[in-house]
Amino acid sequence: MLMPPFELYLPVSITAACEKAAELLAGGFEFDWIAGGTDLIPNYKWHINSKPHVISLANIDGLDSISMTEVGCMARLHDISESTEAHPLVASAAGKVASSLIRRNATIGGNLCLDTRCFWFNQSEEWRSSIDWCHKCDCGTGADCRVIPNQNDLCVATYQGDLAPALMVLDATVHLIGPNGPRKMPLVDFYRLDGMTKNVLEKGEFLLKVTFSADVSQMVGSYQKLRVRESWDFPEAGVAAAWVKGDRETLKVATTALESIPRRHDEQVEQAEGDIKQLAQLIFKAVKPVNNTSLPPRYRRNMIKVLVKRACSE
Amino acid sequence: MVGEQHIAMVPTGPSSIWKASVNGQLKEVLAPSNSILLDVLRDKVGTLGVKRGCDMGTCGCCTVMIDGIPRLSCLTLAAEVAGKDITTVEGLADGAHLAPIQQCFGDHGGSQCGFCTPGFLITAQALLNNNPNPTNEQVECAIEGNLCRCTGYQQIVESIQAAAAIHRGESELKQPASDPHPDPHPLGPDDPTMPPGHAR
Amino acid sequence: MTGGYKQQPGGSKKELRKDGKRVAGKQRFAPPGSGGSKPVMSKRDVDFIPETIGGKESQPAGAHIHDRARTGTAVGKRTPLVDANAKVTGQAWYGDDVRLQGEIIGRIVRSPHHYAKVKSIDTSKAEALPGVLAVATGEDAPNPFGVLPVTKDEHAMAVEKVRHVGDLVACVAAVDEATAREAAALIEVDYEVLDSIHDIKKGLEDVDEPIHWRGKYHVGTTNLQKRVFQEFGDRSLVNNPRAMHNGKWKFKGVNHGFTEPHAVVAHWDPNGRLQLYTPQQVPHYAHRALATVLEIPMHQINVIRTFVGGGFGGKSDPFPHEMCAAILSRKTGRPVRITFDREEVFWVNRGRHPSLIEVEMYADDDGRISGFDIDALIDGGGFASFGHVTSYYNGVLATAPYELGSFHYTGARVWTNKPASGAMRGHGAVNTRCAVEVGLDDMAEQMQVDPIDLRLANLLPPHSRTISGFRITSNGMRQALHRVREGSDWDNKFRKLPLGKGIGVGCGFFISGSGLPIHWDPNKFPHATVHIQVDMDGGVTVHSGAAEIGQGSTTAIAQVVAEVLALPIEMIHVRSHESDTSPVDLGSYSSRVTFMNANAAIRAALEIKDKLLEAAWEVLGYHPNALVLNDRRIYYKHDPSISMSYLEALHKAQEDKGSLIASGAYRSPPMGGVHKGAAAGLAPAYSFSAYVAEVDVDVETGLIKCTNVWAAHDCGKALNPLAVEGQIIGSCHMGLGQVLSEQMVYGRTGHLQNPNLLDYKIPSIHEMPHVTPIIIESCDPEGPFGAKEAGEGPLLPILPAVVNAVYDAIGIRINDLPLTPDKVWAAIAKKMKLEGIEDATGLPTPRLDFSALQAKLVTRSEQHELRDNRRQRSEDTDAYVNGVLFGFDPNIPLEDQVDGWKMSTKPTPEQLAELGLAGSIWLKKEQREMEGDN
Repeated sequence: MLMPPFELYLPVSITAACEKAAELLAGGFEFDWIAGGTDLIPNYKWHINSKPHVISLANIDGLDSISMTEVGCMARLHDISESTEAHPLVASAAGKVASSLIRRNATIGGNLCLDTRCFWFNQSEEWRSSIDWCHKCDCGTGADCRVIPNQNDLCVATYQGDLAPALMVLDATVHLIGPNGPRKMPLVDFYRLDGMTKNVLEKGEFLLKVTFSADVSQMVGSYQKLRVRESWDFPEAGVAAAWVKGDRETLKVATTALESIPRRHDEQVEQAEGDIKQLAQLIFKAVKPVNNTSLPPRYRRNMIKVLVKRACSE
Repeated sequence: MVGEQHIAMVPTGPSSIWKASVNGQLKEVLAPSNSILLDVLRDKVGTLGVKRGCDMGTCGCCTVMIDGIPRLSCLTLAAEVAGKDITTVEGLADGAHLAPIQQCFGDHGGSQCGFCTPGFLITAQALLNNNPNPTNEQVECAIEGNLCRCTGYQQIVESIQAAAAIHRGESELKQPASDPHPDPHPLGPDDPTMPPGHAR
Repeated sequence: MTGGYKQQPGGSKKELRKDGKRVAGKQRFAPPGSGGSKPVMSKRDVDFIPETIGGKESQPAGAHIHDRARTGTAVGKRTPLVDANAKVTGQAWYGDDVRLQGEIIGRIVRSPHHYAKVKSIDTSKAEALPGVLAVATGEDAPNPFGVLPVTKDEHAMAVEKVRHVGDLVACVAAVDEATAREAAALIEVDYEVLDSIHDIKKGLEDVDEPIHWRGKYHVGTTNLQKRVFQEFGDRSLVNNPRAMHNGKWKFKGVNHGFTEPHAVVAHWDPNGRLQLYTPQQVPHYAHRALATVLEIPMHQINVIRTFVGGGFGGKSDPFPHEMCAAILSRKTGRPVRITFDREEVFWVNRGRHPSLIEVEMYADDDGRISGFDIDALIDGGGFASFGHVTSYYNGVLATAPYELGSFHYTGARVWTNKPASGAMRGHGAVNTRCAVEVGLDDMAEQMQVDPIDLRLANLLPPHSRTISGFRITSNGMRQALHRVREGSDWDNKFRKLPLGKGIGVGCGFFISGSGLPIHWDPNKFPHATVHIQVDMDGGVTVHSGAAEIGQGSTTAIAQVVAEVLALPIEMIHVRSHESDTSPVDLGSYSSRVTFMNANAAIRAALEIKDKLLEAAWEVLGYHPNALVLNDRRIYYKHDPSISMSYLEALHKAQEDKGSLIASGAYRSPPMGGVHKGAAAGLAPAYSFSAYVAEVDVDVETGLIKCTNVWAAHDCGKALNPLAVEGQIIGSCHMGLGQVLSEQMVYGRTGHLQNPNLLDYKIPSIHEMPHVTPIIIESCDPEGPFGAKEAGEGPLLPILPAVVNAVYDAIGIRINDLPLTPDKVWAAIAKKMKLEGIEDATGLPTPRLDFSALQAKLVTRSEQHELRDNRRQRSEDTDAYVNGVLFGFDPNIPLEDQVDGWKMSTKPTPEQLAELGLAGSIWLKKEQREMEGDN
């Protein structure tokens, strides 16, 4: 399948990348960043919100660092999953993404910035024309959301990244950079509803790296992924939990693939006061998946209880 | 049939020279900057052994080795791998001499319709290059991104393990198919193992 | 290695580079066609020569007519596919790999509507785009076609209506792919949208605008494409049953999921002939349809079958895109290549029918199966395809391997506005088989007997006739059940495993070739023809039309020819790609290729052998009966020193004649009943299989993991055990997909929601259980060297085996495939609520206490085993007809039997009131019957 026409830029430094971004922004040109491409390229092939310009991060050296406290945006998921340097929870979550071949291309930056997904949306141009498009990619038609019809302003596409919940429970910080300079924030503040807004990245910005505090190595936990096949599949629901080894008071739990953004459930953890069953029930109440992935939302939601229990078990 | 903001496929963007070493040979072709490696390899370089199955990264039929790493060429921008060392299925054999992995896929039923085979071979060869002694679990993990609809994978795993044994030097590459019949009685009637009454 | 001569380029076998490649050097090749480097032949491989002619190959099922043609050369040996080297080196050329000089790219314009009238098509914008060379629409090719002559309801492109999203409307050809895609988007079509039908049940209702119109044969104004009613046996036997099972099943549509998308290259050559390159399983039917649509004689078309990247039934219809490519090529005079995107593959579909099947099954006090009552409503999608046949197969292929007291089947296939369903591996038999085998498991539970013993006590013997009149020859069902029982340690596991772990059994029965060819008129054409040509170089060229689709048909043909002529398989060159050079063959469907083609090939090879032996007679002076072939030599069997090489005999035989030519053909014998539909399901032989599957069920999430499968399949004789095992394991994989994860999902708007390989969930390697393939050889009297099919039958048992194993694990039967975790979880949750269980780990699991009937069944199966062994070896040649177990006398004609035994193909007025869902269509009349009513 041919890609729609676009011009590709391959800057060799972060500065050059930001300059190119600034230049395109100034010219009023729309563009996308591309990291591993495993999310963007299928969407482009299907003519989903493709842009006339694309800036690749592939040729910038030094973006693929992997250590306990820092992972660069271009670190490939395969390398993270095989790494003895990375936090075991990060490595294990990375190893559960898609397939071994996709992980060779896919990057942590791309996984965190993964576009939201929906079976009315992740389809070819011809297919989407047959449903008269949808809100997330309306092709100028002002089309309605197909999941929850008769509302024109919310996109409920599902975020199905695996790494975000694992990084959230490890208190990761994301570092962004763009023409307006760098900034950083806790990963939990990175995501923004809805399925189209997705995150706080501003035009021209990209996610540069993820860092952890030095004591992250003290943390243990697990990531539980619900999927039909143990290869290829995006999570139908995912729960990560982590705590400082030997101190369950520090428990943090986050979920993915249940809403348009991944979410850490600090409030529920606090309310549950260490009762995992209670915690599972509270999170169950807090998230409301919709019908736009392979498995029905009722089931995915109910599985939260099982996944939370398993993620929190030592 | 298309929305108002239809993304026109023509004119295609400006083309430039794309260079890479494909199966040990330097290839230079003219390609637009948005080109996908799979398209360049099939349509420009002519390595038609690289197969297009799903075009979306699921089937693994398009896997090629880039600097020794198995990668999905359908999800790789050609420009990003320009100048690198690319090995396709055509580059595994040494002329008419099959690599052990190729011979074993034939001998152990790892290939039926054969369409996914090039991808499996590349993935498997990349695995064996790094680890000639893989466990079955490691083999399964390595090929989990390749889809085969014919074999049910079992004979593929057997093929890879058989090739691994050759790589480890534990068994020998079978006679090439072009030698159909090693003579069991090279000494003719003088051969002590010759059955009685055998033709002279 | 020693011997042989050296030829460039070559290498030594010992020295390998670090990467495993051979160090350049000399490679050894054998002198072609000689008796070897020295006039010494290889030893006769007595392990592969049957006992009956003095070898060591055991023949528990008795002698075979082809035994005397055995030379121990190839048959029965694990043989790599002869085209494997092309495949592993990337040299195999599939549809999209055909790149002709000056090619242009075709692209198809597809309907965005489920159902609509095409009012007008404006191609002007597309034609104005630079680089566009041709545009075609339905007007360019109005002739209808279809794979079955009775249901030609397809067009190259929409002539009047589009019938599903993705249906073809127009096509374009342009200088490159980008221009073609752009041009396709510029074609403007004016549609009048019609009310579409998506619910299979709605297909039975009268509507204003049926999807197709069958004229006077149209039933009411419904969307019925085909209905079937069949009743055999004695219905009164089902009264007062000891056990009775009712199962209402839902089966989703599944797709073949072959890795190679459809692709075609059409080239109207300078001589005015169409050269069409296509990955077809059935090139001959495409050939016929092309001639019809293009309105040119068949000889003006050369259909070239490329390598086929997986078929499974999905590449067996003549396809509209093949017509489109031809039309565009005719218009432009250039080669046109069309390759599908993956979702187009799903739109052309022809996968397994979505079905609603209800089975009612009865067993009597003796544990005999007194009745099967099957009602199958199947969703054909927008076109007929193979559906006429599927409508029958859903019933009739359940009439064996069990002896039945009565059989009642109502089937209906309806059109809906979905991509067309068609033939897929296990055509028509898979879904019903699953329902029936699960029903048997349930009845065994009700009767407190072991389900394997229940089956063993009710099997039809070898050389028998089913209730519907099928002629069963060899039958390895009993042995298959025994082997999986032993292999799986069944007796220590069944109903004894802890919660979440289960074991289940399922059986299968499938045709080995369709007894009646679809298109033959007159009906005496052979089903398969093979030509052999041997010239002075000694190489044997075999021309066959058999479509190699990865199943190994080319290898099988090469093997049997090598076997008969005692030549190394490398000397056999099978040419089967082009219709110009291949004799007509019906193609790779209904598991017919090995059976029919290998039979034809054996006949041709025997003729060549006769010619060689005659020549040797002249030289050696011994009658052919006293001559033996072995490894490129012919010798006198009482004094092997009197011999000549194959080449010498060949050259002698060629004197004054030139190359040796022989033709062999196969046609299945006349058989079967005369009732309506009697031909459906008739086959010259049938395969049998039994599987035991073990599963782990996660009771909290509902996820099922199949861990182990013992898969026994009776393929008559494994010509190539390597390939047979590959077919068995591959079938497990495909069947496992249908039972656990694969489904074509049609959403609330009727759109196919998952037309890609990410969302259409074919099992990955991690979902594959360990499969232990077990080959059963029942030595079919008519099969080539005793062989029967192994490509489709092995798929059948895996579905019920898994469903039954899930019941063993959690005590819940789910009649809605695939068993996705949400369904399993919901069923578990429902049961927990019903039984007041808090924690899923507290679920009860089924246990078995044998009833008195168990011992009775074991005794009966032991008696039957003796009977079967005698019949298998033809020591007992009495007629055996289904019903003997119930007191039916096979020596009395049906019409003279006691009251109950009968056969009918139309419901009686009383029966009309009690028909099932599909059967209810018999309440409606055909148009021709209604004329009088008006």
